[in-house]
Amino acid sequence: MKKLLELRSEIDKCVRCGTCRSTCPTFKVIGRETSCARGRVTLVAEYMNGGVGLSETFLKHLKECTLCGACRSKCPNGVDTVAIFAAARRDVTEKQGVPFAASIIFKNLLASGGIMSLGLKLATRLQGLFFRDASAGVGLLSRFSLPLVGSGRLVPPLAPTSFLDLPEVKSAEGKADKKDGPSVAFYAGCGINYLMPEVGLKSLEAVRRAGASVSVPQGQACCGMPAYAMGDIATARSMALKNLEVFEAADADFIVTSCATCGHGLKSLMASLLADSPELKARAEKIAAKTRDISELLIKELGFKAKGRVAERRVVTYHDPCHLGRAQGLREEPRELLKMGPGVVLKEMKNPCLCCGLGGGLMYNNYELSMEIAAKKAENIKKSGAEFVATACPGCIVQLRDGLHRSGVDVKVCHVVELLSEEKP
Amino acid sequence: MKMISNSVKNELIRVVGAKNASFSREELVCYAYDATNKLSLPDAVVFPSTPEEISLVLKMANSEGFPVIPRGAGSGFSGGSVPVEGGVVVSFERMTKILEIDTENLVAVVEPGVVTWDLQQSVERLGLFYPPDPSSHRFSTIGGNIAECAGGPRAVKYGVTRDYVLGLEAVLPTGEIVTTGVRTAKGVVGYDLTKLFVGSEGTLGIVTKAVLKLLPLPEATKTMLATFPKMTEAAKAVSAIIRGKVIPSTLEIIDRVSLRCVEEYSKTGLPDVEAMLLIEVDGPKDSLERDCRTVEAICREHGGADFRVAEGKEEVKKLWEARRSISASLYRVKPNKINEDIVVPRSRIPELVEGLGKISAARGVLIASFGHAGDGNIHVNVMYDKKSAAEAAAAEAAVTDVFTLTLSLSGTISGEHGVGTAKQKYLEMELSPAAIEAMKRIKASFDPKGILNPGKIFPKAGAKTAAAGTKAPL
Repeated sequence: MKKLLELRSEIDKCVRCGTCRSTCPTFKVIGRETSCARGRVTLVAEYMNGGVGLSETFLKHLKECTLCGACRSKCPNGVDTVAIFAAARRDVTEKQGVPFAASIIFKNLLASGGIMSLGLKLATRLQGLFFRDASAGVGLLSRFSLPLVGSGRLVPPLAPTSFLDLPEVKSAEGKADKKDGPSVAFYAGCGINYLMPEVGLKSLEAVRRAGASVSVPQGQACCGMPAYAMGDIATARSMALKNLEVFEAADADFIVTSCATCGHGLKSLMASLLADSPELKARAEKIAAKTRDISELLIKELGFKAKGRVAERRVVTYHDPCHLGRAQGLREEPRELLKMGPGVVLKEMKNPCLCCGLGGGLMYNNYELSMEIAAKKAENIKKSGAEFVATACPGCIVQLRDGLHRSGVDVKVCHVVELLSEEKP
Repeated sequence: MKMISNSVKNELIRVVGAKNASFSREELVCYAYDATNKLSLPDAVVFPSTPEEISLVLKMANSEGFPVIPRGAGSGFSGGSVPVEGGVVVSFERMTKILEIDTENLVAVVEPGVVTWDLQQSVERLGLFYPPDPSSHRFSTIGGNIAECAGGPRAVKYGVTRDYVLGLEAVLPTGEIVTTGVRTAKGVVGYDLTKLFVGSEGTLGIVTKAVLKLLPLPEATKTMLATFPKMTEAAKAVSAIIRGKVIPSTLEIIDRVSLRCVEEYSKTGLPDVEAMLLIEVDGPKDSLERDCRTVEAICREHGGADFRVAEGKEEVKKLWEARRSISASLYRVKPNKINEDIVVPRSRIPELVEGLGKISAARGVLIASFGHAGDGNIHVNVMYDKKSAAEAAAAEAAVTDVFTLTLSLSGTISGEHGVGTAKQKYLEMELSPAAIEAMKRIKASFDPKGILNPGKIFPKAGAKTAAAGTKAPL
């Protein structure tokens, strides 16, 4: 991953045309130049020139970004804004250290013997205490929530048994059987592991239905995206290294994930984090080449076709996760998969690619702003008239549930794979 | 002018509220630039929400002697919103309301911070149309469009911002709040201050409300593409289309360099040819077919190699996204450019194109041209690398040549960007000393202390300027 000093020419590529003012989700809410990419790039340049230091104002504006990449995708000059902001955060973190709460969580997510550490296991048992009301917000997971944030917040309960600890998942450890079609190793990621194991199980089921054999390697770690977003590159790198080893050992034809962010993490972040060693980078690129999003695997690789059963009509709208649509270029595949669900009628919302507001650690850095962005999303979802909003990222699911709940919009949120079967998610 | 004092800062806070006044370097640096990419720090940024607040700021500026610079989105191409002499930037980022859309009288009333695109979307939902569409319309503001008299591709048929401003509420540099113009179709009471404010680059007053004319939304639009083996042939086709009495709603020309740069960015599938015309016709559905056939015939007659009608909303959207991104994407060939927006009478576009080719060859600089050929407005981008003194000097010389050529063809040196700081030194090439003096007297009568957006339009006394006067008579 490039350091800030190596990005000087990237920063100079910004000609300050202002196009990013029309795409940035935080600018849509805050409406000031300091909250769009052009302003942030200028601030970072000024920071590098020594014009501004590590002031509260500078850090506030730097951390307000969701790293959604909308500015980058529309930038006429192709400025890699996400790389600039991530490198600036890294620079800051190297000088200031990782925020205390985040550092504890990252350590847990990295802990040996799986994503799950003793601390988190305890928390699962104790969650009755912690979750007495929604205001406690004991998120122990960096992407989803962190201790003691504002009140009235809808906090997802931790699963009683995490995905990787489920007996049927544990039994799927080891190499997939290559005799029956292609072999697929499933990467759960924190969201599925701790919060929504059912999405993991539905994913395994779909892969099997599509004629592949699937394994779930134990020992897999967090993909590193949350640590990366917070600028804790050392931790993110350790996570990448661990996953590299675990998935090399799995030796499958494909690695599949049902989390957009993790998919992006494995496909591009891993190699970038390990780029300091040409050997590791080359190995990471092999892993990246095997990695697929669940919809990409099912549609493009396995030619999955769900049987067209007559069922109750479900009007569904789809939210494009930034890390799937923009980062991986996968917009059609999840929609195609979605339309295979029994009774599903897809009804597009306005601006389905607008960030949900969770990304880039914004939920941690500035929960109120994150929710204001989610409120915009909730409005578009409501106007679509759909009964369900489907997406392909557990992070977005958590955020959309919270945002819809806050806006009083009664639309159910689910993962695309959950609509592949008839039972209601 | 002097830096603002602490007592001024406190007073500004009192006027707009602490949340709406910024003095930290972190905030100031983000209000130091526009799309010319030149930076000059202000001393403060305020975010007012009423004309009264702006009036107080201007009164204070007169008594304390600091500059005031109005700013919309900071997307201008001439330095209009850059605080070149420091002072207080008045940002319109909080005055973003569409106050009224009057469907009976076809009028919209808006605050200046409204993004042009947002207004267009809102009126189009009601079957109405606000035509001015500068390439920045997805982020530029109505206030900024008024200050610079923004144009856009549709100007060929629908005119520019000036043609849609019926009336204004503005704060004069001395602090008085005035209303100008009408909300009726006609009006000749007194001098036309409305038109005077439009295009005055924020030097005569600060617009706080605008009454805009709307049209019925055209029933349908067709988008066509025609490619040409030579720029001059495309240019001749443009003149012929106008002569053929078809007025397209847009008639854009794009040269090879521009096509290549923007294709690299947009992956639209643009052809790799010497020149392309992007043509739109709009109006009642049944007349469009005929217009398309006329345009096609003219293009083919003038060497148009490939002609086709764009299919579906997606393709049209992509084509326009690409077209609007040309200007910024040109930096892919060279790190610096001088971006001019000259206009010539439409019949003289072929001569202009030929002349640009000669200048490029003679000066040894790359010139990328594209733009609103239909109204004679060509964006001429002289590309260079400022790290090379020789290239920079050649580029400067080429620009002067371009202006000399333009003026000899009865053209003007700026169609829609304004003078700002970027074209000051060429002002005397187009305007006579007497005309400039008259303008300065107007400025002085509105703004005796020269506090509103100083350093714009008129070159400072003693500044190095290009040789005066070669404009062909009107």
